[in-house]
Amino acid sequence: MNINHISLSNVNLHYVAAAYKERSLKSLVSKVLVSKKNRQVVADIHALKNISIEITNGERVGLLGRNGAGKSTLLKTIAGLYPISSGNLIVQGKVRSLLNLSLGFEPDATGRENIFYRGLLLGLSPFVMRKKESEIVEFADLGEFIDYPIKTYSAGMMVRLAFAITTSVGGDVLLLDEIIGAGDANFMTKAKQRIASLIEKSEILVLASHDLVTMSALCQRGVVLNHGELIYDGPISSAIEYYKCNES
Amino acid sequence: MIEYLKDVWTARYFWTHLTMSDLRSRWRRSFFGMFWSVIQPLGLTLLVSFVFSRIFKIDFTSYAPYILSGLIVWEFSVTCVVGGSLSFVQADAYIKQCRHPLAIYSLRTMLTALLVLIMATGPLFVWAVIAMPQNFGITWLATVLIFPILALIMWPLATLLAYIGVRFRDLPPALSLVMQALYFVSPVYFETSMFRRGGLDALVDYNPLYHVLQILRAPLLEGQFPTLNNFLYSLGTALIFTLLACLAGRKVEKEVIFYL
Repeated sequence: MNINHISLSNVNLHYVAAAYKERSLKSLVSKVLVSKKNRQVVADIHALKNISIEITNGERVGLLGRNGAGKSTLLKTIAGLYPISSGNLIVQGKVRSLLNLSLGFEPDATGRENIFYRGLLLGLSPFVMRKKESEIVEFADLGEFIDYPIKTYSAGMMVRLAFAITTSVGGDVLLLDEIIGAGDANFMTKAKQRIASLIEKSEILVLASHDLVTMSALCQRGVVLNHGELIYDGPISSAIEYYKCNES
Repeated sequence: MIEYLKDVWTARYFWTHLTMSDLRSRWRRSFFGMFWSVIQPLGLTLLVSFVFSRIFKIDFTSYAPYILSGLIVWEFSVTCVVGGSLSFVQADAYIKQCRHPLAIYSLRTMLTALLVLIMATGPLFVWAVIAMPQNFGITWLATVLIFPILALIMWPLATLLAYIGVRFRDLPPALSLVMQALYFVSPVYFETSMFRRGGLDALVDYNPLYHVLQILRAPLLEGQFPTLNNFLYSLGTALIFTLLACLAGRKVEKEVIFYL
């Protein structure tokens, strides 16, 4: 039995402060030379505080929170990009993430080539990607622009392409960060259908966004984060309610 | 370790693609394209060996392949060391996006350089056949071994340096300085006999670069098999770098993303 689920118990994550202060050999040496009293203390950033959450098969979870609340950090932690400092993190299932759009695209290559490249980045074989290409091209619906270099694309077109690729390569856990809003209304309808079909295949979706309308349309469960802490977890409508009250 | 290498293998389509796209973008919009990797060292070799063969009164036709072999292997090493230390920094877009073993990015740097090296050895063989046909024989088969051996040495070394390079961005310029220094104490241009005459045997006998180069030079220039010692030194160097890279990786692999 292989049931997709995400389970975090008491997860803490610290950004290593050394990454920001010791940028060079010089600062490392000067740190040794400067007396302890005068030393500036840069503490590790406690980005996720004691997060415990269970997400199971077919759930669509929306992450709410102000800028810097830890939404992206949580997504990247689930994606396995950030090492947690304590607690337990179990992710069962293949993760597909769409965290930052422009990253991983080659600006000089055409849209079609980039479909191929991104597929390889996600670990697929060239053979599989060739088969999927037409399907992705059709879904992204970029017309003749698919054969233009990516650098000529608008942000919305980039979103469409990236979304089309990420959702067609298949996976069990889909992580989306803040990107969904950039598509136009027409594309949004398609995206919603696509996400609905993903749910039918009992895949997990975790979405971080400030677009509350999209959020309530796509998700059924809402999680509110504040300063790295989980302050609310419940049905999406009441989560949005809670978030709005909390914000003002 | 085995697990890690398995992950590297799973991502094989990705890093082969990166390597090929590196090569493509390198020669994009140039007339000679990939032939530059052949022309460049060859031109430099002709120039240097012309001057040096006059200065040291050595036979030009046999000295030129010596220099060419030294030059291309040296170029490869410098690219792996200096470029390797930047592998993770350059690949930050991918590292922040997808979880692959980080060593694939240093592997890409090494492979790109290795392919250039393989192309550049072409004229070396041609020259050796024409200038020294008496050396041609079964021993030449041994020369092929230099490629996997160089890969085994340079991949872990590039990975190790990349871990450090992420944290200390001073590393690449510092390394180019170090490499420049090493260059003068290695038998790249100067014949080993010159070192030995100067009483500097240690610079040759304990120099891994000398032993690696012998795998190419002994068959081509002397018609002999490389000695067991040459292989042992080369593989020993590879082993040491592998151990160091594993140690470093175990400690910092997961934290690299914070430094990008």
